[in-house]
Amino acid sequence: MPMLDEKVMSEVKKVLAAMREPVTLRLYTQELECAYCKDTHTLLDELVEANPLLKLEVINFDEVKEDAAKEGIDKLPAIVVVGERDYGIRFYGIPAGYEFSSLLNAILMVSTKIVKLTDETKEFLAKLDKPVHLQVYVTPTCPYCPPSVILAHQLAMASKMVRADMVEASEFPHLVQKYSVQGVPRTVINEKWFVEGAAPEAMVIAKIKEALLDA
Amino acid sequence: MLDFNVLIPETAEPDKLWDLIILGGGPAGLTAGIYAARYKLETLLLEKSIVSGGQLTATQWIENYPGFREPVLGKKLAADMEAQAKHFGLKVISENVQSVNLVDEIKVIETDYAKYQAKTVIIATGSSPRRLGLSDEQKYAGNGVSYCSTCDAPFFKDKVVAVVGGGNTAFEEALFIAKYASQLYLIHRREEFTADRIFQDKVFAEPNIKIITNSVVTGLNFDLLVGRSLNLQNTISKESSELEVDGIFIFIGNLPNTSLFTQQVELDEGYVVTNRKYETNQRGVWAIGDVQKGVLRQVATAVGDGAGAAHQVNKYLVENH
Repeated sequence: MPMLDEKVMSEVKKVLAAMREPVTLRLYTQELECAYCKDTHTLLDELVEANPLLKLEVINFDEVKEDAAKEGIDKLPAIVVVGERDYGIRFYGIPAGYEFSSLLNAILMVSTKIVKLTDETKEFLAKLDKPVHLQVYVTPTCPYCPPSVILAHQLAMASKMVRADMVEASEFPHLVQKYSVQGVPRTVINEKWFVEGAAPEAMVIAKIKEALLDA
Repeated sequence: MLDFNVLIPETAEPDKLWDLIILGGGPAGLTAGIYAARYKLETLLLEKSIVSGGQLTATQWIENYPGFREPVLGKKLAADMEAQAKHFGLKVISENVQSVNLVDEIKVIETDYAKYQAKTVIIATGSSPRRLGLSDEQKYAGNGVSYCSTCDAPFFKDKVVAVVGGGNTAFEEALFIAKYASQLYLIHRREEFTADRIFQDKVFAEPNIKIITNSVVTGLNFDLLVGRSLNLQNTISKESSELEVDGIFIFIGNLPNTSLFTQQVELDEGYVVTNRKYETNQRGVWAIGDVQKGVLRQVATAVGDGAGAAHQVNKYLVENH
């Protein structure tokens, strides 16, 4: 039985019909010690069938560890959504449940280059000269999580200085421990600063500014 | 079992004059949308999340919505309502409303990204979970303090948690959280509960739920990740005690989401004052669902409100425009 049933697949085809430029989903995977690598691989295999502009590139993490580390890939499964370039848009863990929508949104965004950010945010990003790493911790059943993930990915798309990760909390208990995540969404900014809940754009930007000032 | 939701935010032209703008995409707003779209009104629904359904999506199972003999997943019911509304032509966009002008003939709704105009407005912004009001509560939100069981219960697998509240939500959510937690304390400030008897029977039968009545939470000792506890006070004996827990879920009712409307429509204790036709004191503005003063707050009543208000809006537009 396919992972994406007929009904979901037809919805996916409909939304991906808006794609304009090709998008590659770069999947980092390994055979052992990765609970969701196989399922994620199957999911993406099925997903790329939805539109000819969508390609899957599967990379065995063990063979490229050092290069992957340079791109910030440090846990599996990892999906990098690549368009004209790698914008720093990453998914760690399987994008299931509501997070499947975050993945579709990332694909569309990279493919159409349309981002929905306020002029104030765009201005801030244009002047940004320090690296910003956003990690959005989620669970697949959290309805408030996709907006936070989509916002983080938009910021990455709009600025070369921003890297944005969706992190599926249940698959990475050591990180949940490290950042004391007990509620989602929780956005971690440059390792040390946190935003709780589905905060609006202006609030997230204010927190990033705070993090950069303190650094 | 994995499932996959397909939700893509749409955009709407800002220059158009809409017949109706619905603020809020819970069951009330979505039903108003279904009816308005079928009346062929040009209708725009604004929802701050990309997931419609409001509090329905944060509820695991709905057991008392007619037509479903087996409990229905809150998020499924929400997704189906939205799909049905869109099928009839409702435009749903995911934008956060910044300010509104409901006083003038043409209503203006300003979001983070655009300005929209309409002949009529339905307020269906619902309510948000009420806080306990402890000084540390905000600090530990998402880090031991939660208001959403479907979001956060998995973080408390085999842990000890407290649930605060005595109504339907507290009891329903306690049953869901108890599937994860090793031990659950249900804390209520009174002796009697307002939850439906059917929920009470289920909760009392659950072996890992312990009931603590006549008690209020007075403090959170949540500084460390281990060895956390709550300070409790008995409301009758006034005695204080400490209860070891890993986290706390709070379901003590809701507060209306009406901060946008303070200068716009008549409010009472924050709730929008409506009559039996869902009319507010402002011409061309209706309010439905949880946001109204003095109503039962259920999915079944919300959808009834939605249908009723859409009918009133249609009548108003036929007579006045």
